[in-house]
Amino acid sequence: MKKSIDKPVLIMVIILSIFGLIMIYSASYIWAEYKFNDTLHFVKMQSIFFLIGLAIIYFTSKIDYHLYYKYSNIILLICAILLILVLIPGIGSVRNGSRSWFGIGPLGIQPSEMAKIGLIIFVAKYLTNNERIMKSIVHGVLPILLVIGFFFFIIMLEPDFGTSMVIVCTLIAMIFISGVKISFFVKIGLLGIVGIIGIVIAAPYRMMRIISFLNPWSDPLGSGYQILQSLYAIGPGGLLGQGFFKSRQKYFYLPEPQTDFIFSIISEELGFLGVLIVTCAFFVIFYCGVKDSLKAKDLFGKYLGFGLSFGIVIQAILNLAVVVGLVPVTGVTLPFLSYGGSSLLVSMLSIGIILNISKNN
Amino acid sequence: MFFNDIHTRIRFLLLVVIIILLMIIGKVFYIQVFSYNKLSKITEDLWSRQMTINAPRGDIVDRNGKILATSIVTTTIYVVPGQIKKENKEKVSKDISEILNCDYDDVYKYVSKNSSMEIIRKGMDLDSKTAEKIENLGYDGVYLVVDSKRYYPYGDMLAHIIGFVGSDNQGLSGLELTYDEYLTGINGSLKYYSDGKGNKLEVPDSYIAPSKGMTLQLTLDLELMQAIYNELNNAVAKYNADNALSIVMNPKTGEVLAMGSLPSFNPNEYQKYSEEVINRNLPIWKTYEPGSTFKIITLASSVEEGVVDLFKDTYYDSGAINVEGSTLHCWKHGGHGAQTYLQVVENSCNPGFVTLGEKLGKDTLMKYIKNFGFGTKTGIDLNGEGNGILFNVDKMGPVELATTAFGQGISVTPIQQVTAVSAAINGGLLNTPYVVSSIIDDNSKSIIYENKPTAKREVISKETSAIVRFALESVVANGTGRNAYIENYRVGGKTGTAQKVSNGKYMVGNYILSFIGFLPANDPEAVVYVAVDNPKGVTQYGGTVSAPIARSIMLSAIETLGIKEQSGGMLKEYQYLDVRYLVLPDVVGMSKEEATKTLKDFKVKYSGSGNKVTYMSPSPNTFQKVDTTITLLLN
Repeated sequence: MKKSIDKPVLIMVIILSIFGLIMIYSASYIWAEYKFNDTLHFVKMQSIFFLIGLAIIYFTSKIDYHLYYKYSNIILLICAILLILVLIPGIGSVRNGSRSWFGIGPLGIQPSEMAKIGLIIFVAKYLTNNERIMKSIVHGVLPILLVIGFFFFIIMLEPDFGTSMVIVCTLIAMIFISGVKISFFVKIGLLGIVGIIGIVIAAPYRMMRIISFLNPWSDPLGSGYQILQSLYAIGPGGLLGQGFFKSRQKYFYLPEPQTDFIFSIISEELGFLGVLIVTCAFFVIFYCGVKDSLKAKDLFGKYLGFGLSFGIVIQAILNLAVVVGLVPVTGVTLPFLSYGGSSLLVSMLSIGIILNISKNN
Repeated sequence: MFFNDIHTRIRFLLLVVIIILLMIIGKVFYIQVFSYNKLSKITEDLWSRQMTINAPRGDIVDRNGKILATSIVTTTIYVVPGQIKKENKEKVSKDISEILNCDYDDVYKYVSKNSSMEIIRKGMDLDSKTAEKIENLGYDGVYLVVDSKRYYPYGDMLAHIIGFVGSDNQGLSGLELTYDEYLTGINGSLKYYSDGKGNKLEVPDSYIAPSKGMTLQLTLDLELMQAIYNELNNAVAKYNADNALSIVMNPKTGEVLAMGSLPSFNPNEYQKYSEEVINRNLPIWKTYEPGSTFKIITLASSVEEGVVDLFKDTYYDSGAINVEGSTLHCWKHGGHGAQTYLQVVENSCNPGFVTLGEKLGKDTLMKYIKNFGFGTKTGIDLNGEGNGILFNVDKMGPVELATTAFGQGISVTPIQQVTAVSAAINGGLLNTPYVVSSIIDDNSKSIIYENKPTAKREVISKETSAIVRFALESVVANGTGRNAYIENYRVGGKTGTAQKVSNGKYMVGNYILSFIGFLPANDPEAVVYVAVDNPKGVTQYGGTVSAPIARSIMLSAIETLGIKEQSGGMLKEYQYLDVRYLVLPDVVGMSKEEATKTLKDFKVKYSGSGNKVTYMSPSPNTFQKVDTTITLLLN
C-alpha cells in the first residue's frame, strides 16, 4: 500500500520559509543596501536557497530512508573528515569568531550542520541495532556517548557552541526515548553542568557571555550589546508590534538582524501575535514530525524521524531562548526563518527525510 | 513494553517542549508588557537625537515695567558628525571656521568626532548675521538652534542687586541667583530620529517650544536709579572718594526705590572683576560708625520716653563734656553755647546728645536701638547683608553710653540706618525693606508671588514720630543740613560725619560723610541716604559733601515720583553767601507801580501796555531766587 506524504508538515514548512523570506527582507534591506547597495541582496540569496531546499525536500522524500541505515557509517565518516578539514586554516574560513565554514563564493557550508544529520542517522541506527543492551550503561550507552563526545569535541574546536548544544541535546533526547534508565540522565545532567563550567573556564569570552546574560547592562556596548539590542526591539514593539516593516532596531542598531536575531525583528514588528504564530508553527512541525515517526514500521524510522524533528525544534527553542534573554547568546539560527543557506538546506533535508518516513509507514 | 516506554518518553519530551515554548512566550509577554515602559524610554533616547533649545530667562523690570535685565536671541551651531559625509568634513570645517573666524582645528575636532551630536564651542551665541551665513552654506548635519543670552542694558548700575548669570544662563549671584528657579524658563527641544550610524531617519521631527521664565518686577525706579548713579559717579570723581553709596526708600512700605554703590562691576563681563567688588553690595554689606545720622535714634527714643522737651529744655554746650573722667568734644570748637534741645538737634551738638543718652540710661537706649533694628539683619530680599555691631549692654560703661548716643563706637549698615530712620519718621513702624515686588508668569499672565509691606513692630508712637519729623525739618531749614534745603518742599534730614576706624584706632582725616534726608517732611514719601567714603580735598562734614548730593537725588525723586509742592514749610535761615529765596507775592490785580514796589527784590519785565497786572509768571506764592525775572502781563 503506497501512502502519501505528510502534507501538513510540508505546507507548514513552505509557509514558514516564505514568511521567513518576507521577514528577512524587512529585517535586512537596510543592511543589504549599506553593504551591497541592493536592498534585495539577502532575499535573493535566500530565495535561491529556498528553491534548492524545495528540490532537496522533493528528492529526499523520494529516497527510501533505509538507505541512510545502510550508509550511516560512511556518512558519519565523511562528516568527521569535513569537521577536521574545516579546522585547517586556509580550508575552513572564520565567521563570527568560529572557523566553521567552507566558503564557496557567497555560499557557505557548515560541516557541523551536516554532522548533525549524520549523527542523528548514526545514533538512530545504533539504538535500533543495540535495542537489547541499551539497559546497560557500559555496553549500550557508553560506546555511543564516546562517539558523540568525539564529535562534540571537534565541533567545539571550531568553536561552535550553539550547534554542539543542538546536537548533544538531540542525541541525548534520542537515547532518552530508547529507554535508558532515568537515573543515568540525572548523572549525565550533572556531568553536563560540570562540563559546561569547564568549557566556560577554558574560554573566558563565554564567561563574558554569561555575565552579560545575567546583567546585560553591565557592558551595554560590549558583551551585553546583542541581547540588549534584542530586548530594545521586543519591548517597545509591545503586544501589538510597531507594525510590519516598521522596525527601528533594524536601522543599524541590531547587528545582522536577518540572521540569529530575526525573531527580535518579528516580535518588534508583529508583536505578540507574531511570536505566537512562530512558536506554534515550530510546535506543529515538531508534533507532526514525531507523530509520523511513531507510525513508522521499524525502529530506525522512529528514532530517525524523532531525532530529526527534535533537532529542528530544539534549535528553534535555543534560538528563541537566546533572543528573549532566557539563556546566554549561543549563536544558533532559527530554522526556516533566519537568513543562511546551510541552516535552511539542512532543515529542509531533515523535513525531506521525515516526509519519506511518513510515506513509508 | 518497550513501545509503551518509547511513547511515554516521547510524550514526556513533547510536554517539555511545550513547557519551554510557553516559557519563551511568557518571557516575550513579560518584556512587551512589564518592561515596556522602561525599554521604550531607553530606546527613545537611543533612537532619537535631541537638541535642547534653551528657554530665555525671564526679564527683570523696574516698578514701571521698564526692562532692567533681559535675554537676547542668539544662535548656536550643532553638528551631527554622522550626517556629514566623510569627504565633506574638511570642507565643512573650513567654511565654518572662516565664518566664525576661528581655527580650522577648533571646528574639525567636533565635525570629525565619533559622537551623535556636538556643540561647536566657538559657535555659541552667534548673532543673526553670522547664523545666516552658516545657514546659507546649507550643509547636511549642521544645525542652527535658537539660543538666548542674558543682557544687562544698564551695565554696572544694577550689578550688585541683579547679579549675573553663568555661561549656561544659570543665576550665579544677586537676584539672578536667589530667584533662579522662577527666572529660568522651561527648555524646549528639537528631536529627530536617527539610525545606529547617526543618519537622520525619515520620521517627522518633534519640536517642543521653549517657554520663557517668569518676570521679576522690582520696587526700584529706573530713572531714580540713573539719578543716584550719576550723583555717585560725580561724587567719586569730584572727591576721589574710596567708595560711595546711596539708598532711596519709601519709608511707609519699606520698598527700595533706588540703591546703588561704587565701585561696581559690569555684569556682562563679570569675570574681569575681583570677587571683593562683586560680592560686596555696599548698601547692605558695609558696616561702619554711622556718626551723627544715628542721633535721630537717640532723639526719637528720648522724645518717646519723655525725658526731654525739645522746645523748653535747654543745654549749655561749652565745647566738651566730661563723662567719668573722659572728655568728649563737640565737633564745633568752642561749643554751641546755650541752646534749646531743638537747637541741640539742629546743631548736631555732641555733648547735648550725651546728656540725652544719660537721661535715657543704657538699658533704655539699647532697647530702642535694638527695636529700631540695629544689630540684626533687616531681612531685605538680597544676599550678603551685614549685621552691624552693638555694645553689649552688660559691658557698657558711661563712656560707651555717651558715644553711642551720638553715633560712635557702634557699627551699622546703611540699610539698617535707612530702615530705622524710616520707622522714626513714618509714624513709628519698623518695616522690612524689599526690592522684589512681584513675580509674574508671562505665559499665564498671573502673579505668582507678590511682596507686601510687612511691619515688624511699632517702635515709637505717631506723636513722637511727628516731633522727630519737625526737628529734622528744622535741621535742614536752620541747622547742619541746610545744604539739602529745597524751595517749596518740606525736607527733613540729618548729616553724619564718622571717622573711620582701623585696627581699633580712629584714622586721621579719613571720614565717611553721610546724609539722610526725607520729603515731604509732613508726610514722607522718600527717604534718601547718601554716604561718601573718604572724600579728599573738601571740608570733612556730611553737610558739605553728602547733603548737596542728597538734595540732587531728592530733586530727582520729586520728578520721578511726582511729589507735589507743599506749603507751610519752615523758611530757611539764611547765611552769608547763601542764595536767598523769597516767597513771590501775588501782584495780580495791582497797578503797575504798586506791583513794582512789591516786587522790589526781583527783576520785573512787563508785557503789554496797560496799567493793571492781569497775569504773572512764575506763579505767585512760590519760593523764587532773589533777582529772578518776573514777567507781568498788563492789559
